[in-house]
Amino acid sequence: MSHRRAPSQAFRLSKRNRNFVAVVGAVALSILLCCTATYRSGMWLTDALRNRPDASAPAGPTWTADSADLTVAVSPMMAPVLSQLADDFNARNQTTPDGRNMTVTIAAVNPEKMVVEALGNPPFQAISPDSSLWLDQLEQRWTDAGIPQESDSVIPLGQSRTSGQVRYAVSPVVIAAWEEVARELGWPDQAVGWQDIQRIATSDPDFKWNHSSTNTASGLLATLAEFYAGAGLVRGLTAEAATAQSTLDYVQAVEATIRFYGEGEEVIVQRLAAEGRNFLDAFVGQERVVIEWNRTHPGERLIAIYPAEGTLWTDHPLALLELGASAAELSVTDNQRLTYRAFAEFLTGRESQLALLAAGYRPADLDIPLDGPDSPFAGADAVDWREPQTTLQMPPPSVINVVLDAWRYTKRPTNVYLVVDTSGSMEGEKIRRTREALAAFVEQVQGSRDRVGIVEFASSVKSFAPLSTLDDASRRDLLDIIDDMQAIGGTALIDAVYAAVEDLQSQRDDQAINAVVVMTDGLDNDSRRSLNDLSRLLQSHNGMPVVLFTIAFGRDADESLLTRMAEAGNGQFRRADETDIEELYRIISTYF
Amino acid sequence: MSRTRWIFLGIIVFAVVIVAASILLSQQTNEPGGAALTVERPDALKIRVLTALPVEPWVRSAAEAFNAGDYDVEGVPIEVEISAVDGLTALGRWDRNDYGALPADVRPEDLSEAERAALSGFPTAWIPDSRYLVELANASYKERLGRDVFLTDGEYRARPIAISLFAWGLYNSRAAVLEDEFGVINWSTIHDAAIARGGWPELGGEPSWGFFKLVVPNPSKNVGGLAAMIAMAGEYYDRTNISVEDIANPQFQVWLRELMGAVTDFSSASAYTAEDFALFGYSVGDGGQLLESDLLQNMQGIRTRWEDPLRIYYPEYVTWFDFPFSVWVGPETTALQKNAALEFQRFLLSDEQQKAALAFGLRPANPNIAVDAVENSLFAQWEDQGVQTVVPRTTAMRSPDRDVLLTLLRWFELNVAQ
Repeated sequence: MSHRRAPSQAFRLSKRNRNFVAVVGAVALSILLCCTATYRSGMWLTDALRNRPDASAPAGPTWTADSADLTVAVSPMMAPVLSQLADDFNARNQTTPDGRNMTVTIAAVNPEKMVVEALGNPPFQAISPDSSLWLDQLEQRWTDAGIPQESDSVIPLGQSRTSGQVRYAVSPVVIAAWEEVARELGWPDQAVGWQDIQRIATSDPDFKWNHSSTNTASGLLATLAEFYAGAGLVRGLTAEAATAQSTLDYVQAVEATIRFYGEGEEVIVQRLAAEGRNFLDAFVGQERVVIEWNRTHPGERLIAIYPAEGTLWTDHPLALLELGASAAELSVTDNQRLTYRAFAEFLTGRESQLALLAAGYRPADLDIPLDGPDSPFAGADAVDWREPQTTLQMPPPSVINVVLDAWRYTKRPTNVYLVVDTSGSMEGEKIRRTREALAAFVEQVQGSRDRVGIVEFASSVKSFAPLSTLDDASRRDLLDIIDDMQAIGGTALIDAVYAAVEDLQSQRDDQAINAVVVMTDGLDNDSRRSLNDLSRLLQSHNGMPVVLFTIAFGRDADESLLTRMAEAGNGQFRRADETDIEELYRIISTYF
Repeated sequence: MSRTRWIFLGIIVFAVVIVAASILLSQQTNEPGGAALTVERPDALKIRVLTALPVEPWVRSAAEAFNAGDYDVEGVPIEVEISAVDGLTALGRWDRNDYGALPADVRPEDLSEAERAALSGFPTAWIPDSRYLVELANASYKERLGRDVFLTDGEYRARPIAISLFAWGLYNSRAAVLEDEFGVINWSTIHDAAIARGGWPELGGEPSWGFFKLVVPNPSKNVGGLAAMIAMAGEYYDRTNISVEDIANPQFQVWLRELMGAVTDFSSASAYTAEDFALFGYSVGDGGQLLESDLLQNMQGIRTRWEDPLRIYYPEYVTWFDFPFSVWVGPETTALQKNAALEFQRFLLSDEQQKAALAFGLRPANPNIAVDAVENSLFAQWEDQGVQTVVPRTTAMRSPDRDVLLTLLRWFELNVAQ
């Protein structure tokens, strides 16, 4: 008989076996619970890490994830008008759905710099340059900067650095001339063109005209007009036509007649106001400059000449930047997008449009007639709202880049001395920032015929690097001199400037713009020469003027002396501190 | 209690402590990590509609009226958000999957909280310029997901909400001179005007007008630019179906380049070409072939700003845009959102909104509404400038395929834009 355990007995385990089963069960349960706990903890840790601020992110400008503050970079000419409108917008106290105040801040930024900054981690979320051509340049550079090649079957559109573009005002670029000059040119009975201005500039040595640097729309247009005229075209300018020797010769001859370049029309207007009728006969600028000048300056009027060959429009686009393409860059927040949309609507609203009309711009709202009551266009013959009749053809970006390069080789050359105070008071941050600013200046001077020299002074002239053309070797030499600058000694400002002016005059290079850029942070206490000596030297130029730009670095500089020096040298006086000295040198470089 | 039982109890307590600690930790995140997707009834339902530029002003105004009304789906109030985007640009984004559609093997319930949050801005519907863009988007997703993402039949099928066609708009002063010179306005005579070496004086116009300046939208910003190039090809070859070989034909390319050479400025042109045309007037363009609705919307502004109104002409080969309202049928949007989109679609097709479209120069998709059904119909207002309520007998261009589009875009980039 087999010994078979009864079912009830089969489960009746020994005490030892029961303990074994209990321990195994407990361990299994523990493992199960621990796995659950580990999984949940792992998920928590993953989420926590995922939501943790990225350690590699934003070293630059930052804003909170719910920020509704929008900073708009605006071209300097438009910035005052837009600042006023931004104040009006902010006064409305509009809020986002989550209760954040929508605020707009306007920052005046040169369009070319705006494009460069917008490419990576900019301190603004929206831009408004003076022309859409800068947006095009931005998109082109953004594309060139590294969008990966897409499959052949993918529609290659939709990846933009900007979005939500609107226009709120436009103004054509014109030749602004004194009424007497305009009548001599044939206005209002005859069509006057770019070629008329270029012809008179090259044939009459007393004719003074100006266009700003090519980093503004009006400066770029004036330059394009020269290349078109030089190539004998009014459309279809190609890289080959722009770089033909006959074109370059023509442009060089016209550019030789430019009195100075400069950062924009607002500076020209300031100098017209300060120096009067004799400063310039004509200049290239936006139509609204003519309206504004005639409104605020009684006396001889400016006339807007709409060039017969065609012109270009400044169209003041407003565009939101699509930031956040890299980990080092914050994205525009949803609230900032709402602020952008609200501000764009505000700018294109009737109230703002009328304000822009009053400021001399043509509003984007086509329902507002330009000849209506209170319009600055109504009843005026200095500007004509039916003009321009035609525009010059805007070449594609690649040809524009060729024109810009060619211009650097054909523009009026510059001889410039950088006169630098390295007295004891410049020690520390000041000398460090000065070195950086000077180095940036030397890097920015790109003309093949431009020459730069450096005069470093304290109690006397410490070092004198004579003018030299900036090839790679001489540029490196100048950068070495800048790098070696040490702050020590007193301040013999006038003696140093005198030495620089004297050397420029001895060169007798009347084809070039001759200039001295002098920077100091203190009072002249060591010079043997006086301001009168310097003024006499400047006036004895025998037809070869030297322009003086003076910079007061910090609050201890002798502003009165620097202002009088700038006046004596038909130049400008500017203030700077450690935060903007580099930017100031960059701006001054646009004059050359 | 025996030592074994103490061990057993200890293990249990240890396990309970670990579990309790993990629960506490995960609660600190304020996010229930790994919670499954639960279909909860929201307080409000937001739907995002990508809208082609020509219908955007009308659709946006309709959305404002809709949002202000008492519209809901299954008791949940609907809020419509309009995103203006050119049809071709949107197609590029669909192609690259910029909006973040899920791969075929991923379900929304498999996503983390953050990934689900990223889907909250996914478009519920798309109103492109033309149904062929929907077909191209479907083809792209069919390759990736193995199915259509916009339906062509059934409840969620793409339905046209308005229609418009491409027409010539020329400033009166310039149109009169061209009619005297050529008798008829078409791509061939416009080409002759564009290549006139003496400019307007050679054609009988004023010297101050300079050269003839053509307006064509920038194809990289406005699908109308491609439509214009396809229309040019249609007239050149005198047929409606254009192939890649036609585009590659060297003689055609020379002819096309001469035409495009009369455009003053592609670089600064915005996506809103007709608006630019009005803002800068005859100084940048004497005329061009643009969408009728865009031209009509700017007719009054042009007359106010330039005193010289536009004259409208209808071409022989016509390109139609039908603006299909297309609901995304993938799992990225909820059933409630899809139904909310249908509700908004019905609203757009209502008699009231179709009449409102007339004020934007759009021809109603709803056949019950005549183009001159309302007093402020732009069709009636500008009849004396050549606008016709019934389009004359013409031949419709066939929709180009993807290869033709890509070839034209590349030709433009290489020969005109750069």
